[in-house]
Amino acid sequence: MEFLGSASDALCIAQARRRQVYDDNSMYKSKNLHAERRRRQKLGDRLLALRSLMNKATIVEDAITYIQMLQRNVKVLSDQLLEIDSLSVEEDEKPTRDEINASEQMKKYGIKEDVKVTGIDGNKLWIRVVFEKKRGGIAKFLEALTSLGFELTDANVATSKGAILVSSCFKGIYGNALGVEQTKKLLQEIIRNM
Amino acid sequence: MYEEPGCFDPNNSMAEGVYSGFPQAMANNQKQFEENLELSAEELSYHHHNHQEDTSVSAMELELQKYLSFNVENCDNNTYRSHMMQQVVDDRNQLLSYDHSNWNTGDIGFNQDDPQQNGHRSFNINSLPQTPDLLNLFQLPRCSLLPNSSISFTNSNHDTTPLGFIEDLPASDNTSVLYDPLFHLNLSPQPPLFRELLPSIPHGYNLPTSRGDANSLFGDERDSNGVKAYQDEDGGMLEFTRDMACIVRGSGNGKKKKPFTTERQRREHFNKKYTALRNLLPNPSKIDRASIVGDAIEYTKELLRTVNELKLLVERKRCGRERIKRHKTEDDAVGDVEQSYNGSLRSSWLQRKSKDTEVDVRIIDDEVTIKLVQRKKIDCLLFVSKVLDELQLDPHHVAGGHIGDYYSYLFNTKIYEGSSVYAGAIANKIIEVMDTEYAATPPTATSI
Repeated sequence: MEFLGSASDALCIAQARRRQVYDDNSMYKSKNLHAERRRRQKLGDRLLALRSLMNKATIVEDAITYIQMLQRNVKVLSDQLLEIDSLSVEEDEKPTRDEINASEQMKKYGIKEDVKVTGIDGNKLWIRVVFEKKRGGIAKFLEALTSLGFELTDANVATSKGAILVSSCFKGIYGNALGVEQTKKLLQEIIRNM
Repeated sequence: MYEEPGCFDPNNSMAEGVYSGFPQAMANNQKQFEENLELSAEELSYHHHNHQEDTSVSAMELELQKYLSFNVENCDNNTYRSHMMQQVVDDRNQLLSYDHSNWNTGDIGFNQDDPQQNGHRSFNINSLPQTPDLLNLFQLPRCSLLPNSSISFTNSNHDTTPLGFIEDLPASDNTSVLYDPLFHLNLSPQPPLFRELLPSIPHGYNLPTSRGDANSLFGDERDSNGVKAYQDEDGGMLEFTRDMACIVRGSGNGKKKKPFTTERQRREHFNKKYTALRNLLPNPSKIDRASIVGDAIEYTKELLRTVNELKLLVERKRCGRERIKRHKTEDDAVGDVEQSYNGSLRSSWLQRKSKDTEVDVRIIDDEVTIKLVQRKKIDCLLFVSKVLDELQLDPHHVAGGHIGDYYSYLFNTKIYEGSSVYAGAIANKIIEVMDTEYAATPPTATSI
C-alpha cells in the first residue's frame, strides 16, 4: 500500500511540476498533493479493514476463485503467444548468424579443439575437452557419450569466444572402464563427428 | 420472566409530553422505582460477583447511579413499550446495544438518547443466574469487534408480548437482532449445557462439541420457541463463535439460511475447500492448513509474475511483427531488425517441486538461470541439455555434480532471439522430463 502510495505520489509530483508552468501557485499543488495522498490512504485503510472482516470461508473461496482466474489468464496469454509464434516463421535466419560467428571467433582467438584425459583415483578419469560451439552442441556431445556407455559426473561446462570447454570426471555407466589413451581417442572421434 | 421495562428519555420531546402527564405518578412511583433500582443494583452486583471483569460491574453501577438521579419513571407497559420501540426505530444509529434482562424484581431498560453525550454505551445486564459466565466469555470478543454503529437487540426468551414487540420491528432490525451474541445467551433454555460447551471454545474456532450436544441444544431452542426469528440464529450463532471477525452478515450472507445442521458438516465443507485450494497448487507439500495457505500465497504471487511476463512477451511479439510487416510493405532495406523492447526489463522467476526434483527458473531479460536439484540418479545433464535445445535456450555455462544424496546443477543460458519462451514453460517442461525419464530408467541401471 505504501509502495503504491509513494509511486503515485511520485507521479503526482511529476505532474505537478509540469503544471507549474501554467500555474505559479505552488501552494495549491502541495495542498492538492496532501489531499490526494490522504484520500488514497483512507481508501487503502478501508480496503484493509474490509479484508480483515472477511471470514475464513470466504477467504479460502476467494483465493480459489482468484487463483483459477489467474490460471485462466495465463493460459489465454500463452495461447496468444503460441499463436503469434506460429504465425511468424521468418525468424529462423537470425540464430545462424551467431553460429557463423562461432567458428570465426575460434579462429580469431586461436582456440583449437583439444582433448585431455588424465586418470585419477583408480577407475576415474578426468577429461578436458574443447570444441566448437554449435547449436545444441553440448547435448550432442553428451548424447554421444551416453550412447557409448559413459557419463560425466561433477561436470563444468563453460562457453567463451565461440568455443565450449568441458571439464569433468568421466566414468562408465555400467562399470566399464577405458584406459587413458583409449578415452582420448574416443573423445577426439566424437568431436570430429559433431 | 419479563417485567415491565422502565424507560426514560429526558431529552426527547415525546417523553416530555408523556412525562408532563404523569407528574403525580412520577412522584409516587419514583420512590418505588428507586427501590427497585437499588434492588436490581444489588442483584447486579450479586450476579457479577463471579465475574472476572469488575470494571464492567463498576461501570454499570455508576451508570445506574447516574440514571437514578434523573426523573426515571416507571410507567405503563404499553405506552412505554411502544414508545421505546419508536425510540429504537428512530434513533437506531445512536444506540449501541441494550438488554432486556430477566430480572426477578426490577427491570431496567435504558434507552439512551442523549445528544449531549455522544458516546456509545453498552449495557450488558444479565440476570440469568447461570449465564453470567457465558456473558463474560462472550463479552471479550464482542467488545473488540463490535463496530460503532451496529444495533443489537437482545431479547429474552419469551412468548409473551415483548417478543411480539420484537417481531414488529422492521425486517432490517430483525436481521441485526439475529446476529447479536447476547441474543443467544438469553435464549438458551439449557444454560448449564451451554456453559459446558463454551469454555472449550478456543478463540474464534469451531465449537468442538459433539454432534449430539449441538443438535440437542439448538434443537431444543428451536422447539421451545415458536418465533421464527430464532431459526436463523442457529447458523448465525455458530458462525459467530467460529468466525469472530465476521460481524455484519445480515443480508450479505451468500449461503442459505441454514447451511449446516451439524458441526461436522461445516468442518467437512471447510476441509473440502482447503483441499480444493490445495489441488490448484503446483507444489503441494504438506496437508496442514497453514502450509496450504502459505503455498497458495506463493503460487498467487508466481501467477501474477507469470501473467506480467506473458503480457510483456505478447506485447513485444506484436511490436516485432508489426515492424516486420511494415518493413515488408515499405520495401525498406533496413539493416538489422531490432526487436522493439518496450523499455521494461522482463524478469520473472518461479520454482517447481516434484517428488524427486526441484527446479528454480529465473529470467532476466534474455538470460535464464536454471537451478536443478535431483534426488535420484538420472543423467540430468543429458536430458536437461536436450530440453534446453527444445526450448531454444543456449547454455552458456553449466556446473554441478554430486552432493550427498542429490545431484545439483546450475545452468546459465541465453534465450535465442525470437524465441518467446517463458519461465513457467521452462520449469514445467524440465520437471516433466525429469519425472518421465526417471520413471523410464530401470532401477538396475543405477550404479555408483
